[in-house]
Amino acid sequence: MPNYEAGGRVYEVDEDGFLQDPDLWSDDVAKDFMSTEGISELTEEHWKVIHYIRNYYLQFGIAPMVRKVCKQTGFSLKEIYNLFPSGPAKGACKLAGLPKPTGCV
Amino acid sequence: MKKKIKLSDMSMPVKEPLIHLEGKDLMPLPPPLDNPQEQAGLAPLSPQVVESCECFLDDTCVVNLPQPKTREEEKELVGKFLSGLEKLFNRENNWTFLQPLVLTMEHCTKCQTCSDACHIFEASGRNELYRPTFRTEIVRRLYFKYVKGGGLLSAWQHGDIQLNWPLVARLVELSYRCNLCRRCAQACPIGADNGLVARELRKLFSQEMGITAKELHDKGSMLQLKVGSSTGMNAAAVKDNVEFIDEDTSERSGIEVKTPWDVEGADILLIHNAGEIVAWPENPGAFALILNAAGISWTLSSELAGYDSINYGVFYDDAQFARVAIKHAEAARKLKVKKIVLGECGHAHKALTVIADRVLTGDLNIPRESSMTLLRDIVMNGKLKFDPSRNDFPVTLHDPCNLVRLMGIVEPQREILRRLCPQFREMEPHGVQNYCCGGGSGFAIMSGNNFPDWRFKVSGRKKLEQVLNVFEDCLDPSIPKYVCAPCSNCKGQFRDMFAYYDLWEKHRILYGGLVELIANAMVDVQPGFLQWEWR
Repeated sequence: MPNYEAGGRVYEVDEDGFLQDPDLWSDDVAKDFMSTEGISELTEEHWKVIHYIRNYYLQFGIAPMVRKVCKQTGFSLKEIYNLFPSGPAKGACKLAGLPKPTGCV
Repeated sequence: MKKKIKLSDMSMPVKEPLIHLEGKDLMPLPPPLDNPQEQAGLAPLSPQVVESCECFLDDTCVVNLPQPKTREEEKELVGKFLSGLEKLFNRENNWTFLQPLVLTMEHCTKCQTCSDACHIFEASGRNELYRPTFRTEIVRRLYFKYVKGGGLLSAWQHGDIQLNWPLVARLVELSYRCNLCRRCAQACPIGADNGLVARELRKLFSQEMGITAKELHDKGSMLQLKVGSSTGMNAAAVKDNVEFIDEDTSERSGIEVKTPWDVEGADILLIHNAGEIVAWPENPGAFALILNAAGISWTLSSELAGYDSINYGVFYDDAQFARVAIKHAEAARKLKVKKIVLGECGHAHKALTVIADRVLTGDLNIPRESSMTLLRDIVMNGKLKFDPSRNDFPVTLHDPCNLVRLMGIVEPQREILRRLCPQFREMEPHGVQNYCCGGGSGFAIMSGNNFPDWRFKVSGRKKLEQVLNVFEDCLDPSIPKYVCAPCSNCKGQFRDMFAYYDLWEKHRILYGGLVELIANAMVDVQPGFLQWEWR
């Protein structure tokens, strides 16, 4: 299993660089992983998306629909791409400590 | 400069790729992608992967197969491969595909008609490694040598091959360099099926050696059989999502939409690819809108796998295939519906309507129909009113291989588009002669390592060329354009490929399904159902 080191911490990640054990998430994970997603600073807007996704995941065990993320956070998809350049399914989910989305999505 | 490789290179015990793909060797693209920036090769694999995985075929890697630690381990794996190979040619173990497989082994005359039909071979700049008969010729030589008993005369007649671990490891990857679109089989004068050979290799690796692409197996069919869907949605999650889709669709259309769940005795059980629900909610939303307006008696099912039509086994494993197909039929039997209708998903169509015919017996053999014919009937029977001027923008149609070439469903979707889209235009070639989107056989959901580079530069290249050509006269970004792709997997490939080449931002080329265009033209729906925004 590959490791990822940042902020003086070592994380076990999967082949795609997602946190191996989603239960080990904290705000630190988002801060430590942001550079892998080309993000230099986590603003309030980033946190709004991350926390929404995280809470949805805790309730349903999967990532929320992209449309839902937009509606609930009030950001357009374009704005979300501006916040997370690799998109909501990859970038935002990674920072929220979710596994990489699966299936035909 | 590209080096011409030989079959024997596949057995070379060297830890380096047999070929490098350079941008200048690839098939040239038409404008606007004919500039030198598009000439780059693939991004390099990470040192971690090169050090630990079997990635010595070409510049990419799908399976991430760990390198064996010892010679003994390698020997054991080669032994397993050989016993698996024998099983492939044994009626008891492979009654499903034995006949076409043996035909392909015994009767190919090496005329190479198939090579000209293969989009991957052509797009790669005719790289020998991707020639459809390259992979097959290796399997053929192994077949004559080990399954048919071999001997000197056989080696002279059929050619020799050295079976060792490097060969097996490279075959693992090479079985994932084919979209299984089977355009080669269609072109073959005697029906030899190189696509099937790639698929049967994947099956051997999965069923006999536990070697699979994780997206198809662990995170695909296994997850589906465990929680109900390859997306990870359980029944509660899918109902929550569909409730949201109902609200969203009602808001957008101005018509109150409610999706029926688990209605016993409904005429139709509709099964979507669950990816639609997660990633393209306007598609299941439009389905609900249309079926309700047409007064169809229909339902979704919240049974395990009853709300996700995917059956990735079709791409790599017969046992997994059968397990999932039976779940689908059981969901329909439980609700006592008259038939199952498949949503816009190509492989699910072929899996459940055609291949599953060999698995579903007795009361599980419930009639199955394509949504294409159902929708055609709804659009053409005159019950609903349409205003085609709402779809007055350039529209082209992508033919999903499983639906069109491999099932012959060619016209229904075209009848709909000719009726509802004044600027409908065909790509060339199209229909059963179509080219794969490049995401076929599950590639669209594989994005590990640098594989997306390969998908967009090689396997998707021919389709990309077709799309650019069909919109050649209207590339100007002031004109919105729509690639209608009635298949989730194809849509995933278009989305990622269009983003990669920036075709939405620069040229306003959007992709989407068929039902969205139908809903957009419905007079009772408020204008603007189809939203011109990236998704």
